[in-house]
Amino acid sequence: MRLRIWMTALSMTLAGVSGCRKHAEVVKSDPLLAAYDTEADWTDAQHIVPLSYRQAQGKRIFYQQCVWCHADATPAGPSNRSNLTPVPPLLNDGATLNAESDEYMQNIITLGGSAVGKSAMMPPYGRMLSAEEISSVIAFTRAIAQPPYQPPARAGSQYSAK
Amino acid sequence: MPAEEMGKLSDRTPLIFAVSSVVFLAVLAISPVKDFRREWKQYKRSYVRFAQTRPDTKKLLADYRPDIDQIWLPGMNVVDRCTTCHQGITQASLSDNAVPQPFRAHPRIPHNIRDWGCTVCHRGQGPATEVAEAHESTLAWEQPILPTRFIQASCGACHYADLPQTPQLTKGRELLAELNCQGCHRLPGIERPAMLGPDLTNVGTKVSREWIYKWLKEPRTILDKDGNVTVNGYETEEEPRMPKFRLTETELRGLSGYLSVQKAKAFVPYKIDARVVAAWSKNPELISQGELRFRQMFCSTCHSLAVTRAGETKLIGGDIGPELTKVGSKVNFDWLITWLRDPQGYLPHTRMPRYGWSDEDLYKVTQYIATKLADSDLLVNVPQLGQPTEDEIQLGRRLFLEKGCASCHVIEGLNPQRDFGPDLSAIGGKNASELEFGAAKIPHNLVSYIQAKLQDPVSVNPAARMPQYNWNQADLDAITTALLSMKGPLPSSALQDLVVPRKEVAFHPTGAFAEVYERYKCYTCHKFNGYGGDLAPDLTYEGSRAQRQWIVDFLKNPQTLRPTLILRMPQFNMSDKDAATLADYMTMVLQHPAANPAAIDARQLTPAMAALGKQLYEVKYQCQSCHTIGASGGYVGPNLNNAGGWLTPAWVEAWLRNPQALIPDTIEPRRNFTEDEVRALTAYLMTLRQTIKPQKTTGAAASHTPTHGAGR
Repeated sequence: MRLRIWMTALSMTLAGVSGCRKHAEVVKSDPLLAAYDTEADWTDAQHIVPLSYRQAQGKRIFYQQCVWCHADATPAGPSNRSNLTPVPPLLNDGATLNAESDEYMQNIITLGGSAVGKSAMMPPYGRMLSAEEISSVIAFTRAIAQPPYQPPARAGSQYSAK
Repeated sequence: MPAEEMGKLSDRTPLIFAVSSVVFLAVLAISPVKDFRREWKQYKRSYVRFAQTRPDTKKLLADYRPDIDQIWLPGMNVVDRCTTCHQGITQASLSDNAVPQPFRAHPRIPHNIRDWGCTVCHRGQGPATEVAEAHESTLAWEQPILPTRFIQASCGACHYADLPQTPQLTKGRELLAELNCQGCHRLPGIERPAMLGPDLTNVGTKVSREWIYKWLKEPRTILDKDGNVTVNGYETEEEPRMPKFRLTETELRGLSGYLSVQKAKAFVPYKIDARVVAAWSKNPELISQGELRFRQMFCSTCHSLAVTRAGETKLIGGDIGPELTKVGSKVNFDWLITWLRDPQGYLPHTRMPRYGWSDEDLYKVTQYIATKLADSDLLVNVPQLGQPTEDEIQLGRRLFLEKGCASCHVIEGLNPQRDFGPDLSAIGGKNASELEFGAAKIPHNLVSYIQAKLQDPVSVNPAARMPQYNWNQADLDAITTALLSMKGPLPSSALQDLVVPRKEVAFHPTGAFAEVYERYKCYTCHKFNGYGGDLAPDLTYEGSRAQRQWIVDFLKNPQTLRPTLILRMPQFNMSDKDAATLADYMTMVLQHPAANPAAIDARQLTPAMAALGKQLYEVKYQCQSCHTIGASGGYVGPNLNNAGGWLTPAWVEAWLRNPQALIPDTIEPRRNFTEDEVRALTAYLMTLRQTIKPQKTTGAAASHTPTHGAGR
């Protein structure tokens, strides 16, 4: 009798142990530790935006090439932005840029403003930056946009693993 | 045993057998159930369900493998099963941040995952098939996974040369060099300059014992209301090169006493011409004139001054030399005059150039420094120390060696302890078990260890000799990244072959040019063949770019090409001979093969071409968005008012065709001009001329108001 109880208890425990194993879960980690780089939100310095590898490459190119006219402060101090008519949009200006598609942004950076009917003051970068580099700048733009950028809905993209 | 009981037993036997068989079957069943429920198999099933919700289900499922996936690279010691769970890492359609881990695609990097594995960069345990085992550091495993924030360290393990894609690593390496960490630690790849901290052999002739005491106690002199040092007018705090050592009162007295008697080579005070002193000492404009010259000479390019605006104190100016806000109360006045006349006479390896001073300038500027850049309260909290006793000097000498001062500061005749701090050449590859955490309440892993040690060295080891730094988070992370990249010799020769070495750059001019170049320290700000500072334009091809006469005029009287810059070329009061020596060398030697000034005759450029060029400049290409001509235009690029008197036509043509071919990191975008457009634009630019009035350097300058410079 005692043996039976013992055996049952053993099998229950074993079954229980294997049943209690952690379920496969989506791993959540500190978004800043998992970020390749970060950028302080231009409108709220306390808010730190984590950047992926691609967005971080965009940030680097932005601060080399674009910052002079698409930001109000530059590494050299004053910005050239106020100097230009029409005034170029700030890179985080979501109200203006969120409405533009990635394809349009890729075109205006590659071919320059005049090619898409905008100001010729925007030079073409297609012979200086690769398509990949330009698309990373767009990814960075989307990351810091205020109001935040919502990618266009695509079938299936709203689902996640369950 | 009675028969009755025997019968009972035999009745119960089938029951016992039945029950035990059921139990036995159940126990046997545990194994397949356990196998079915293995963590990695759950991720496999979860991936299949996930793939079915994606628009490209077919493609995802076609690539799906139900078993353990392993990347095995014997040459690199890689056995990585990470892709067993991270199944989508090569699927471009899963690169969106909304895709949950572990299924998200890896960002596109220059290395193919199948050729490199995962743990080479991410660390962690490749062969493990459970999340905790793979990612975390347990007793049996050596390396936890490296947080992505520090992942650039892994690039640096092979790429000793700086990469554009890894700014944090580059910044960390720069900080290690700038803060002279290599004074005490062995740090491979971090350059060790001829002089780390200033040579203190004669420091007793320069500053008082009281000032040394104050400096040793707290080397940060400019603090804003939050207690932060602000540099360059930016809110970012920059770490002063001299860290804070934890010294007791006795130690402060000993060290200051020892240093104050370091007067091995007494300087001969320079007597400013008595007539100059007589003419200026009673002049009420003396100090304002001194300030004007201080600004005109652009001392602020290397030195900063504290400026208070709207209740906030900021340092404005460069950070190559020390900030000078209170220097008048710091240094001995006679020493200051001697120093300014010949800095290299006092410190052979200083980066301070030797200006060509007139007595009048020297008198005015030193009087300005002594009166305006002074603070009578600077030493108010320092006790009167007086002459040091012999005991104090002996104690100071001993401390100078024991505290590690001698590792950065030379005192002639004193031999520093070799390898004063721990060798850090393999710190980035250390296992947690090799680190001494002491009483520190931090997670036991390498990243936490390095950061705790940098932030507060005594928190990890109460006996640490390492001084106290005051990092901001970005600098702390950058320097951590650089240290993590130092993994020592790579474990296998296959990896060793992959190392991309740092390119050694050198520029060793000879002859008359070398002497002038060394005297004015051109390389502090300018680059020549990759060697030198990056504050000012790269001069490797200056001889192709600029006309000889322009170079001479510019050196004698530097005009600003970029009006928004605070940091500009100092006015050296250069002699005609020096200017000619530099200009001749540049025109002869610093040439680009693709831009030979002799190849294009300026006379081939016709007025008709220039007229077309003007149209192209103003209308089609709108160059004025970045360049200024006359009163209008942008200030991203240099102003072109005097392009015709400055640039060579050959350079302009080559530049318009492909700027990056001449200066690889220029931000001027490469355009798609036709050959005719190149010719026309060149013709137009060569018509732009402006005569620059030489700047008066004497009394007449009083009527000028400085419009740029420190504090404006």
